[in-house]
Amino acid sequence: MLSVIKLRLLRLRDEWMIFVFMTAMALGFTAIFGASFTTYKPTVYIVDEDKSYYSQALISELNTYKDFKFKEADIKAAEKDIEEGNVSMGLLIKEGFQRNVEEGLSISLGIMKIKDDTVILTLQEIVSGITMKMAGANRIADVTAAFIQSAKPDSDFEKIRSSSYDNVMDSWKYKNPIFVKATVAESGIQAGYDGLMHSMIGFTLFFSMYTMVFGIGTILYDKQHKTWERMLISPVSRTGILGGSMIVAYITGAVQMGVLILSGKYLIGIDWGNSMAGVLLVSAAFIFAVTSLGLMMTGFIKTQAQLGSIAPIVLTSTSMLGGCMWPLEIVNNKALLLLAELTPQKWAMQGIESIASSGMGFEAAILPSMVLTVMGITFFTIGAFSLNKQSI
Amino acid sequence: MLRIENLYKEFGNIKAVNNISFEVKRGQVFGLLGPNGAGKSTAISMISTLIEPTKGDIFFEGKSILKDSKPIRQRLGVVPQDIALYPTLTGYENLSFWGSVNGLKGQELKNRILEVSDIIGLNGRLNDRVDKYSGGMKRRLNIGAALLHKPELLIMDEPTVGIDPQSRNHILDTVLELNKQGMTIIYTSHYMEEVEYLCNELCIMDEGNIIASGTQQELVDLVKEKTQINLKLDKNDEEVINHLMEIKGVYEAKINENVINLFGSSTDVLLADIIAKVTENGWMIETIDVKKPNLESVFLHLTGKALRD
Ligand SMILES: Nc1ncnc2c1ncn2[C@@H]1O[C@H](COP(=O)(O)OP(=O)(O)OP(=O)(O)O)[C@@H](O)[C@H]1O
Ligand SMILES: [Mg+2]
Repeated sequence: MLSVIKLRLLRLRDEWMIFVFMTAMALGFTAIFGASFTTYKPTVYIVDEDKSYYSQALISELNTYKDFKFKEADIKAAEKDIEEGNVSMGLLIKEGFQRNVEEGLSISLGIMKIKDDTVILTLQEIVSGITMKMAGANRIADVTAAFIQSAKPDSDFEKIRSSSYDNVMDSWKYKNPIFVKATVAESGIQAGYDGLMHSMIGFTLFFSMYTMVFGIGTILYDKQHKTWERMLISPVSRTGILGGSMIVAYITGAVQMGVLILSGKYLIGIDWGNSMAGVLLVSAAFIFAVTSLGLMMTGFIKTQAQLGSIAPIVLTSTSMLGGCMWPLEIVNNKALLLLAELTPQKWAMQGIESIASSGMGFEAAILPSMVLTVMGITFFTIGAFSLNKQSI
Repeated sequence: MLRIENLYKEFGNIKAVNNISFEVKRGQVFGLLGPNGAGKSTAISMISTLIEPTKGDIFFEGKSILKDSKPIRQRLGVVPQDIALYPTLTGYENLSFWGSVNGLKGQELKNRILEVSDIIGLNGRLNDRVDKYSGGMKRRLNIGAALLHKPELLIMDEPTVGIDPQSRNHILDTVLELNKQGMTIIYTSHYMEEVEYLCNELCIMDEGNIIASGTQQELVDLVKEKTQINLKLDKNDEEVINHLMEIKGVYEAKINENVINLFGSSTDVLLADIIAKVTENGWMIETIDVKKPNLESVFLHLTGKALRD
């Protein structure tokens, strides 16, 4: 086995390019996509059935929140797009909104959505913040106008009321009530969509998978050069040959991920969270799962060229499914979400992301690592079996 | 040392090896001669435990290698028909790897690499990458990789395919030298001359079967009546043929593109009689050549086709 390990390490001399290339790709893509995902804005449809001064005021107030992209639409279009999953939610301003604000009654707003997530919570709080602000300003304006009228009976109640309302609302512009700010900071975009973090994890996983799969794919190189058969008839056992090959592919994958994790930290400034041990555990299980996946693929094909054309298809599609490219939160299709469960990427993303962006501890790593290990064992068994079965 | 018993190998419908049996004794150079697709490499793959026979058994030093492949693996060297080396590694690195998978290490490995590179005549080029080698050099390194652990039994599968005559002679002499030092060798080829030059005993295979086996003399004796004499005279017609057929020992005569082919059993007597007959009739001999029976004629005789196209 030692001789096989030594050989594989020697052969890395020919393959270091792919290693460097994949590292560069992962970092490059993180830089590009990370930046654009940070400015990722969920689109929110606004259906204005009230069409009043206050409803328009609410809309223009909402538009000052840059975390969302608001779009006005009629109810039909909004319902259709939300149902089809093109847009994740909508805000319905029902008739009577103006009256309710003016009379200080409870305000009737509807939120249209397919599923719950943190983004909707954030939106709800923003909306309730604004409407409370509006209702509050209304009360103040009422009281002010009433007070002035009682002192100066000939003054115009409506005029005073509306100018004092505008004044109050204006003054909020420079100093929002504390609670609105707080909700945005706590449960808002930050937690759901840390674009940079997501991209970093996603691309680290995606690109290092190539290193791992091509690393174990060196078996196909051996088959093409007939050295595989020559090894098989030597006194080294099949376990030794497979084991040695796996170990080096594993180490290469581990170095690749390590380099990316460290580059993320020191070059891009990623904070990997409170449990480095957790991140490493998930990574370790992930590398095993993917190296074994590579072994399985190797068992079913004949040449490195075939691996070169199949690997990108398999890796890209499973990475998309598994949420390496974009957050799974924006996927609504049940079948796709179910398929995602079967990809190693999904579990690795989940494990690392919950530590790195949701601030969870080591415990978040346990389930994903276990699932990944089981996947790895399955792939390895199938791969080793089909390699052994092939007569030459 | 090695005994093959009723070995079969089928790949789907193809009967690659179809009931072969033979025995190789210690110290022999044993030849396996046969045309393309005869089943030579398949037989070797089974002996070297790469593939399992469909039926039959192989005994190494009396023990079945199907039950336990370890003993033969440790004492066997195989030179595969296709070059099996790492092209991007140097000659030295290749030898070092193949030595180490065969259990050598440290100083012993280093010494053996130097000894072997001497044997295969590559010691000046060990630090070059293999893909910079010529075809003949790769062939020689391919052989060297099987010699490092001093195998007791060396199987060579067409080790001289596609190389220049000089490299080829070097390889053939290496084989004889190794054999002199005590290595038992199974040599596979479809070059009749190589097998004639090297082997004490041989099998001739065709389409999965052994069609003849024994020492060279035994095999050639099978066709000793097949001496062929080609004669070109200033006159060749039916009359000449009739006269020539009168010679005792000539059993066939025919004209083939102005050349008369005579077939008979014993060269020396025949030749004298033919010349006597020709002078007696006043004809002139333009050319004459004698083809003694060899393994090629054995093959031709047994299968009705030439060993190589
Ligand atoms: N792995 C395989 N799968 C299917 N058929 C095979 C396989 N290996 C060999 N054969 C078939 O078995 C027959 C014998 O092949 P083999 O390679 O043993 O011949 P050979 O005597 O070594 O020929 P050559 O001189 O060309 O090397 C051929 O018909 C070949 O096509
Ligand atoms: Mg062959």
